[in-house]
Amino acid sequence: MAPSAIDDAPAASGRNSPKRPPARIWNVSEPPFEGYRPIDTEGYARSNGETAIIIDNGSSAVRAGWSFDSKPRLSVLPNMARYRDRKLNRTFTFIGSDVYSDGTARGQSKSIYEPGSNIINNWDAMEGVLDYCFIKMGIDGRSGSIDRPIVMTEPVANLGYTRKTMSEILFECYGAPSVAYGVDSLFSYSYNGGRSGLVVDSSYTSTHLIPVVDTKPLLSQATRLNWGRFQSAQYLLKLLRLKYPSFPGKISDTQAEDLVREHCYVSQNYEEELSRYLDWTGLEDRDHIIQTPFTEQVVIQKTEEELAIAAEKRKESGRRLQAQAAKMRLEKLKKKEEEFEYYVQLQAQLQEIPTKKEKARVLESNDFDDEGQLDKRVKELEKSIKKTRNKDLGDDAEEEQQEEPTFPLLEVPDDQLDEEGIKQKRQQRLMKSNYDARLRARVEKEAEKARQAEEQRLDDERREADPEGWIGERRIARQAIVQKMKDRERLKAELSNRKSLANQMRMKSIANLASDAPSKKRRRGGGDDDTFGADDADWGVYRTIATGEGSDDEEEEDLSKTLKDIESQLLEHDPNFTEESTREAQTDWTKSVLHAFFHGPYPYDPESQREAHQLHLNVERIRVPEVVFQPSIAGLDQAGIVEIASTILTERLANNPRRDDVLNDIFLTGGNTLFQGFEERLRNELRAVLPAEQSIKVRRAKDCVLDSWRGAAQWAGKKENRRNFITKAEWAEKGGEYIKEHDLGNALG
Amino acid sequence: MAPLTAQSDEKTHQALLDKLDIYAVHKPFRNPNWRPPQRRNKNLKQVLGEASRKEASMMNTQANSGASTPAIASEGGSTPAGNVRPPNIAQAAQSLDRLVLERNGRAAAGNATGPAPTYTNIESAPSFHPSAQKKYCDITGLPAPYTDPKTRLRYHNKEMFGTIRTMPQNVYEGYLAARGAHTVLK
Repeated sequence: MAPSAIDDAPAASGRNSPKRPPARIWNVSEPPFEGYRPIDTEGYARSNGETAIIIDNGSSAVRAGWSFDSKPRLSVLPNMARYRDRKLNRTFTFIGSDVYSDGTARGQSKSIYEPGSNIINNWDAMEGVLDYCFIKMGIDGRSGSIDRPIVMTEPVANLGYTRKTMSEILFECYGAPSVAYGVDSLFSYSYNGGRSGLVVDSSYTSTHLIPVVDTKPLLSQATRLNWGRFQSAQYLLKLLRLKYPSFPGKISDTQAEDLVREHCYVSQNYEEELSRYLDWTGLEDRDHIIQTPFTEQVVIQKTEEELAIAAEKRKESGRRLQAQAAKMRLEKLKKKEEEFEYYVQLQAQLQEIPTKKEKARVLESNDFDDEGQLDKRVKELEKSIKKTRNKDLGDDAEEEQQEEPTFPLLEVPDDQLDEEGIKQKRQQRLMKSNYDARLRARVEKEAEKARQAEEQRLDDERREADPEGWIGERRIARQAIVQKMKDRERLKAELSNRKSLANQMRMKSIANLASDAPSKKRRRGGGDDDTFGADDADWGVYRTIATGEGSDDEEEEDLSKTLKDIESQLLEHDPNFTEESTREAQTDWTKSVLHAFFHGPYPYDPESQREAHQLHLNVERIRVPEVVFQPSIAGLDQAGIVEIASTILTERLANNPRRDDVLNDIFLTGGNTLFQGFEERLRNELRAVLPAEQSIKVRRAKDCVLDSWRGAAQWAGKKENRRNFITKAEWAEKGGEYIKEHDLGNALG
Repeated sequence: MAPLTAQSDEKTHQALLDKLDIYAVHKPFRNPNWRPPQRRNKNLKQVLGEASRKEASMMNTQANSGASTPAIASEGGSTPAGNVRPPNIAQAAQSLDRLVLERNGRAAAGNATGPAPTYTNIESAPSFHPSAQKKYCDITGLPAPYTDPKTRLRYHNKEMFGTIRTMPQNVYEGYLAARGAHTVLK
């Protein structure tokens, strides 16, 4: 639609003014394939036996680098695709974003983590990812091992089995001389110079809150909320699937994550913003349109010239047909005229023939029984010729002015007629009844007209006498029609569900109609007399079993026509019935909240492929990030982060002397806290639950995503932390789950 | 193997795959004799189950040591080994009590601030805050003052109610599932 068309359109009363077409339409992201990553040997050359390899083993990405780096050299998606190509007879292994380079690889891709949790459960993939990291970091493995200490992050309160298996791989498979583990969010906190505070880490698969006092984490007070960006993306996908059940496109998990990242934000006042979110004013700004790829159905647009040519062609062929028909008619007419002349001659001839016998012979040779037949024939021909001529001249209205036909024979009793007469009498009787019927119909039509006029008059009279009653009646009638239309809609919807009651009833009717045996009910009624059809309503059963296109279009038409009539009457005579109360205005899409929800402030054309492939994000933009604050929205039976934080701050740490320090350093890290408005919202909500005189400070990590890795690298670079590494000998002696406790790691369970 | 990008044909795509593949890359840093243990891939449920079983068995061995070991009932020396008594429910309940007590006690001894953090016990508890009772429309997410008794869906206004009532069962079950309120048949 051109913008000018919108401006010109007058705003019909009771409707919202149309909006301009969307200013911006977003697209879904491409698969995150980054291309080939070259091997980087520079770091390895610089490193020695003391330099640690730092691996932030996150569930959104595995980041790896050297302890002297300022940022990780590699960031690898934690997945692997390994499959055997039977045609080439070789095995392929692709890691991280490389799996998106190929359709098969993408299909075979497996995450190293259990979906939706921070626990590793695919150790083959884990080994693949580690292989990839070590290859790309240029480790030459001259000694048959990686020969560098490893610092690896693990989730808060990591499970013993997971750590055991990881240590086993690192020591046995890669021959690491020593390994240290730490918690990512604590690394990030220490990198950002924190000493006492509450670490709020909302990352990919979970959200953790850990109070830290004097650089010592109080792990026993740590709390996990099972919600992160992954769950947000899945939730958005679920909502979109419900919103557009017949959506023709497909949104992949990575695309959903990008949608969450790009379009969602944390509302500062959820309740208030939510209640106005689908209001007409400003909806065009709140509603984001996502266009997924589509192919428009090609409609061949003909040019004006072509159309003109086609019309001309059609006309031409029509003319030709007409000419042909005229010619044929003319020929027929000629033939008839010839015939007519011949028979007239014959008549004259007969007059001259004296003998009856001769007359009969001549008649017989012309296939006539007697003179009467000949006369009739002549009359017929004359009439037909006349008619044809009239038609050619273009006026066939003559028939109307026919004089009333006479049926003289009907009055004559049978015994006064010969056989021929009786035959004719019968024919005349038939014609008379035909004629009578026609007359009756005409009379009836006139009577109906009169009746309607009378009805109209009575109605007007009644309206003038009792306007309220009249209006009430009309309103009731209107309501009934509206109800009927709604019922029909519902029935239609129900019939689309195979298991619905309506559909079962329909199946039953079909089975009844199809079965030869009479149904139970009829049998009980006694006898096998099938009275189907005795009542006209019986045939309605065929209407109830008909579905699909055009099954009840006629009736639909009728209903809407009657409704229009009543509404126009009401509009005319009922002061309270305005343009806005008509059904058309009420069902107008600009008034519909649901329409705003599904299609934004724009009209929707279900035929358009472009619009069918559009997603409208509006309420979802604040609904999805809100789950961290109100997990019950998504059916997660856990307390939200504000409630957790306030429990930790006001109850668990109530007697801690350093509580004020903790309150003055509430530290946000993790990718899921990057939503616009997250920090302010958390501050405001905490403000609301804490005493007024209590000062609080909320800050965010300088880099919420990479600071964990940087913190780990910084930690590994410090000499005094050497003692926190487990050597291979210690691991062999003290067991697979053994770790050394330090300030940035888990406790030994 | 369909190439994903339009500008690559079969040949260049295969070359790209060869380049990206790390299976064929020599990995000298790996121990050639390393054989991963069988069935090391366990899902979270299995790992958690094993962890809690292990903990429980450790408790039991401690509880059964020394004086608490019940003496074998010797009545006429009749087949003590084969005579296995049915488990006593009261006894089992008692040992459960002890299990909890001991677990808490051990944690208190080791760490003055409470039980040791484990993967399961750091999970956030259900909410007690009144905001958990806030209701939102299942279809649009708007505030929902009403609940449809038939489908149990929450809705914002009568327009959504009209839609809800025309929904087939699988659709409204889907909406309930998004809120975690659907009925799961086992």
